[in-house]
Amino acid sequence: MLSIVATLCVLTAQAPGVAPALTPRDSAFHALNRLAYGARPGEADSVAKVGVMRWIEQQLDADHIPDSRLAAREREFKILDYDRADLAGRYRDAVQERQRLQREAAATGDSSRMRGARPMQEFRELGGELQQLAIVRAAISERQLREVMVDFWTNHFNVFVGKGADRFLLPSYIEETIRPRALGRFEDLLIATARSPAMLFYLDNAQSVAPGSSPPGPLSALRRGGTGVRRGINENYARELMELHTLGVDGGYTQQDVINVARMFTGWSIEQPDRGAGFVFHDWAHDQGDKVVLGQKFKSDGEDEGIRLLKFLANQHATMHHVSAKLCARFVADEPPDGCVDAAVAAWQKTHGDIRAVLRAIVTSPDFWTPQVVRAKVKTPFEFVVSAVRAAGVEPDDTPRLAQMVARLGEPLYQQPAPTGYAETEAHWVNSGALLARMNAGLVIAKECTSIPMIDDHAQLVDQIDQRLMAGTMSPHTKTVILEQLTDIADPQQAKTLAVGLALGGPDFQKQ
Amino acid sequence: MTISRRIFVKDSALALVSFGLDPLFLPRAVFSPYRRLSSLTVPYRPELVCLFQRGAVDGLNMIVPHGEGAYYQERPRIAIPANDVVDLDGHFGLHPSLAPLKELWDNKSLAAIHAVGSPDSTRSHFDAQDYMETGTPGVKSTADGWANRYCQHDREHADTPFRAVGFGPQLPRILAGSAPSLAIDDLQAFGLRVPQEAARDRLTRAFEELYDGAGTGLLASSSREGFEAVQMLKRANPTQYVPAGGVEYPPGRLGKTLLQIAQLIKADVGVEIAFADCSGWDTHVNQGSSDGQLSTRLRELGLALAAFNKDLGERMSNIVVLTMSEFGRTIRENGNSGTDHGHATAMLALGGPVNGGRVLGRWPGLGVEQRFEGRDVAVTTDFRDLFGEILARHLGATDLGAVFPGYVPSPTRFVGAIRG
Repeated sequence: MLSIVATLCVLTAQAPGVAPALTPRDSAFHALNRLAYGARPGEADSVAKVGVMRWIEQQLDADHIPDSRLAAREREFKILDYDRADLAGRYRDAVQERQRLQREAAATGDSSRMRGARPMQEFRELGGELQQLAIVRAAISERQLREVMVDFWTNHFNVFVGKGADRFLLPSYIEETIRPRALGRFEDLLIATARSPAMLFYLDNAQSVAPGSSPPGPLSALRRGGTGVRRGINENYARELMELHTLGVDGGYTQQDVINVARMFTGWSIEQPDRGAGFVFHDWAHDQGDKVVLGQKFKSDGEDEGIRLLKFLANQHATMHHVSAKLCARFVADEPPDGCVDAAVAAWQKTHGDIRAVLRAIVTSPDFWTPQVVRAKVKTPFEFVVSAVRAAGVEPDDTPRLAQMVARLGEPLYQQPAPTGYAETEAHWVNSGALLARMNAGLVIAKECTSIPMIDDHAQLVDQIDQRLMAGTMSPHTKTVILEQLTDIADPQQAKTLAVGLALGGPDFQKQ
Repeated sequence: MTISRRIFVKDSALALVSFGLDPLFLPRAVFSPYRRLSSLTVPYRPELVCLFQRGAVDGLNMIVPHGEGAYYQERPRIAIPANDVVDLDGHFGLHPSLAPLKELWDNKSLAAIHAVGSPDSTRSHFDAQDYMETGTPGVKSTADGWANRYCQHDREHADTPFRAVGFGPQLPRILAGSAPSLAIDDLQAFGLRVPQEAARDRLTRAFEELYDGAGTGLLASSSREGFEAVQMLKRANPTQYVPAGGVEYPPGRLGKTLLQIAQLIKADVGVEIAFADCSGWDTHVNQGSSDGQLSTRLRELGLALAAFNKDLGERMSNIVVLTMSEFGRTIRENGNSGTDHGHATAMLALGGPVNGGRVLGRWPGLGVEQRFEGRDVAVTTDFRDLFGEILARHLGATDLGAVFPGYVPSPTRFVGAIRG
């Protein structure tokens, strides 16, 4: 009932409470900043015309949004032509080649050939392609909210592409594990990540075995991952599963719970690369005892016991609260108000973790629309670059340059080694070096801006930039400074580039 | 003309700030005797350079306990043969790839600290690195790094944007926090990347004015620090840098980073703490012995440190370089001729203030009953005691309790890394 009232308030552009209401255009721009990667020129107006809540509903129903232009662009990316088995084979060859060169270099004392040959080069290039693909999708997909959620979950269930086999496991993780479930049910996503080879390798579960267990045959490939001769349970995944993926650090679990969860996942592993590197359950490695987690008894039941645990964790109140608060930090404010978090938790509870229902609860919460939160959040580097590209009408190409730009601003995609993923908060992204890099990025993107015509009259030029790039939200101070800078510039091309560069690199555009 | 106007604008902005408009900035404006002097004189200013060997370096093959029989028994394939070890004191020796550092050992400016590490038993890289950088082993929720907390609490030097610099695209955890610190990926490219100087100055000024109007938030204060840094670097003009005495840094990222740190220190812009990563130490497979994987990494490290030392010359009398790594590796080699995640490791301290020419810390021995959990080198020096000693005795920190919450590094536990 509450959410319907809130929806009606928004539909009539009456923000609840005493604060002055957002205009329909401001509401649309706000929604585009948070639920999409910023507005393309004119988009705030077109969304306002459709009605912001109707637009949000369309975005939640992503499968019914035609996206043919993106589909055409995706065909340029050869990484999408390879499945996990292809990549696994190529990776194995590259590793063998590198080891051969290492042995040669060690034998001859000459490492120069190693540097020249770079057997892993292909994987570095594929990694770059994967990053650029993320940028192309975020920039041009019509299914904007889904792309935002893909980024959110990729970060929530972070996997570091630089860790060994994850160099070849990450593409299928993104394509097959995260993307199809980004607007689905949390529980399904959680199970899919738990079973994904990428996560099994990243958090070492692939090598976690019951103490004293031994494989029926030789097991050299499994040993490679890490703990070597001394084998037993590995708690890494179990700990991060509860601390980061589900309950949260204050979620009430104990070290004994961590150990018991690790025991439940013993045997969850990865096939050898020449068999496709898919998920495999090794019964021989599984801890056959019964386990207790958070006071709940789990009878030993092979692989199913882990699935039951994941479903149990996915629907704990602590999980609902932890993940909802994280969603609200992304969509509402770095320190989200309780109201929107409570609304999200209620929707989660009611729908058994339907992500779309949870998102709907957040965007119909009055907290989402209060003027205090509007344009009060700093964009992450990825959001900043993609929103600038969209506003300036720049077509992202398949070279890694935009991905490199995002990396220079401090957020190299898929390259966060820590399982926490990247932070959502301003303090993490704003430092003097990163800000200078944002200014540089603004200047570079401005050179390719196609969304602003050349105009001789400076006041008109600045007004166009304000309207088309920022939906009329440019601050008077920014306008004044840009106009001052233009006074001695006669060439309209130069004036445009300078003005757009200052606008994109300036403080207003850093916010969403 | 442009420049003097810029300085005028900046100074008046600072005056405004020091009347109390920006709480974060105020204390720094109050304690700012150094700023005005920066291009004129070089006061004594101790500097600390930290290198994080990410991936957990094998301390036993870096500083080799060649006098210990167990070392050879446990590592039949990867131990450094006694003939190859560069002996230091009859019991320990350097990996042969670190031979370039022997000279520094001999002149007493290089010390090794053995069996140092974390009281937390984690063998997760993530957790252990995090603990070493936050300075709070076992506590994951710590938001800031210990180097930043030092800067927060010892503010009397805090007057330059270059006080704490992390080399890399992102600010490392160790420098994260409320005290200003700077991430520099490439010194040459720091600031606006506009080829023409006049255009660059103009754009810099324009952005500066834009951000001056951004109020008092983090965007405003961070941008102010950024522009100040650009201005100081411009005056210092480090673009034409040539290392002293024909020193050549080894190729690769580490050499390039140390060269830039040397450059920044010599530019006298007020560096107090510089931090850089140096990766590739997670040697689970084919670690190698005198040659091989680890040897290659150590060679680069040794050459880079030796070059840095020579390049800075006299200035090394004010500098301490400290290596650190999240944990050590197993005493016994594994089935893949490598080593797995262990516990204590070794760290190197280099520089004039270092009490060099000795292996510091209590050596626990490698006997089975002396090991941690029956397999790893036991920790006899909590890393906070080592870091704390360097902060207190070298940088002059006065409040170590605030730097390492929940722990007070005690002088009685200091290993004596810094000369008295």
